[in-house]
Amino acid sequence: MIEHLAIPFQYEYMQKAMFVSALIGGVCAFLSCFVTLKGWSLMGDALSHSVVPGVVLAYIFGLPFAAGAFFTGMLAAAGMGFVKAKTPIREDAIIGVVFTSFFAMGLLLISIFPSTINLRTIVFGNMLGISDFDIMQTVIISGFSLAVLAVKWKDLMLFCFDPNQARAIGLNTTLLHFTLLTLLAAIAVAALQAVGACLVVAMLVTPGATAYLLTDRFGKMIGLAMLMGVLTSFLGAYASYFLNGSVGGCIVVLQTLLFLFALAFAPKHGMLATRRLRLRNYQEAVA
Amino acid sequence: MKALELFLQNPLAPFHYSFMNEALLVGALVGTVCAVLSCFLVLKGWSLMGDAISHAVLPGIVLAYMVGLPLAMGAFASGLFCAVATGFIKANSRVKEDTVMGVVFTGLFALGLVLFTQVKTEVHLNHILFGSLLGLSQSQIIQTAVIGGFTLLVILALRKDLLLFCFDPGHARSLGLNTTMLNYVLLSVLALTIVISLQAVGIILVIAMLVTPGCVALLLSDRFSQMLWIAVASAVLSCVAGVYVSFFIDGATGACIVLAQGLQFFLAMLFAPKRGLLIRRFLPLKNSTAQT
Repeated sequence: MIEHLAIPFQYEYMQKAMFVSALIGGVCAFLSCFVTLKGWSLMGDALSHSVVPGVVLAYIFGLPFAAGAFFTGMLAAAGMGFVKAKTPIREDAIIGVVFTSFFAMGLLLISIFPSTINLRTIVFGNMLGISDFDIMQTVIISGFSLAVLAVKWKDLMLFCFDPNQARAIGLNTTLLHFTLLTLLAAIAVAALQAVGACLVVAMLVTPGATAYLLTDRFGKMIGLAMLMGVLTSFLGAYASYFLNGSVGGCIVVLQTLLFLFALAFAPKHGMLATRRLRLRNYQEAVA
Repeated sequence: MKALELFLQNPLAPFHYSFMNEALLVGALVGTVCAVLSCFLVLKGWSLMGDAISHAVLPGIVLAYMVGLPLAMGAFASGLFCAVATGFIKANSRVKEDTVMGVVFTGLFALGLVLFTQVKTEVHLNHILFGSLLGLSQSQIIQTAVIGGFTLLVILALRKDLLLFCFDPGHARSLGLNTTMLNYVLLSVLALTIVISLQAVGIILVIAMLVTPGCVALLLSDRFSQMLWIAVASAVLSCVAGVYVSFFIDGATGACIVLAQGLQFFLAMLFAPKRGLLIRRFLPLKNSTAQT
């Protein structure tokens, strides 16, 4: 039995998949705390789709995928900012228009140059067949993002909670805004390999949301989110071996289950706890 | 360029194939329904909701296939489930709505992917994800026409109520409209529209059909009734142009449609008669006098 469970560890590609997933899961979870606070779910989804044409172009021209992906991701973010400043349309609609155009461009490129990159890589990620060069890019991006987050997390936190307050105490909020956008694009690029374009947003939202249900302190929230991100990513990659399924799918299903669990049973903000509290308040009021 | 050669040889070539004509027809129909709905979504700020429901239909499709039900039914059910679950979790926790949506729809989409890898299906995942406008069966076309027609009727019949609900829900409630019901009507209509749009552009790009025409129309007009017509014209034009171009360049049809819409948005942003960037740039005087 135990031998059976240890099988994934015998394959080098599984080891790589598990450890790289865990790394990406951790970094994404760190960022997810800010994304959930700021209400940037749609932005995360948008950037993770916008990097696709860059990946395809990079493969066509033989460049490192991260460079191309990051470039189109930032281009999309700049485009959204530009359109928002120049038109009266609501931000969410603008994001929708811009990112779908980028993603459609990526799809069109793939359909015209079918040999460059597999469509499945974009949708599912390619964790089990990841090349060493791609791992290196992912590790560099993750390390860099982690370093920035570790240094700047207090400023970013204030910016997410209350931008006006942040500006009032002299922080450069424009710079913080761009820092967060850049991090989002960079991490979307890294996570693309692990879970695919459609599920990156889960890694960028769910751990933060789960942690938010479990604690009131932001420092603790980051710790919990990262712990869950690392664990679910590692276990998801591990489970995908037995399910013969997509790594990204398994990771995200695990993260969602954790969220549902927290939603029901979280000590203070879970549904059962609030119900109990309401009942007690009612009883006290009656008595 | 081979595409150019093909085009010059016979620019009408796409219309000689029945599958191309069918694609154009279905594309135009789906585009019309989406465009009408997009005017409401853009006003309501429901882009993320559209994105969420469109991804969430995946497990429904796979489950319906496993049980042997019509795929459209499964898709509709799981799309609506996503919306209801989001509402429930939001009401019962302190997490922000956009975050809840992100959690729920990705969870469902991931579940769909995992389920999909477990069953041996003849449904091509690529067709669900990216559309298959060029390979529609007779029954699919009929289904699209029936659901699309029904959806369009519902939206147009409830047009005034829905409009008020989107602009100002508080006001709508004070007038005695049942806003909870309108909310669910709009959600159901959204889910139905997504189900039929899947065939045209696929899960991932449906959101473009549901947002871009409304945005184009918003740039070009201030009156809602006008907006509806402009959005429909824009969507039908994009569908026809997308299908037509994709024939020559041999590219993904859904992607071409969405790019045509994106291009229209870009042009509208530059050249719109009142809100266009060029007008505002070159006629600052006229604009400033109009404002004062």
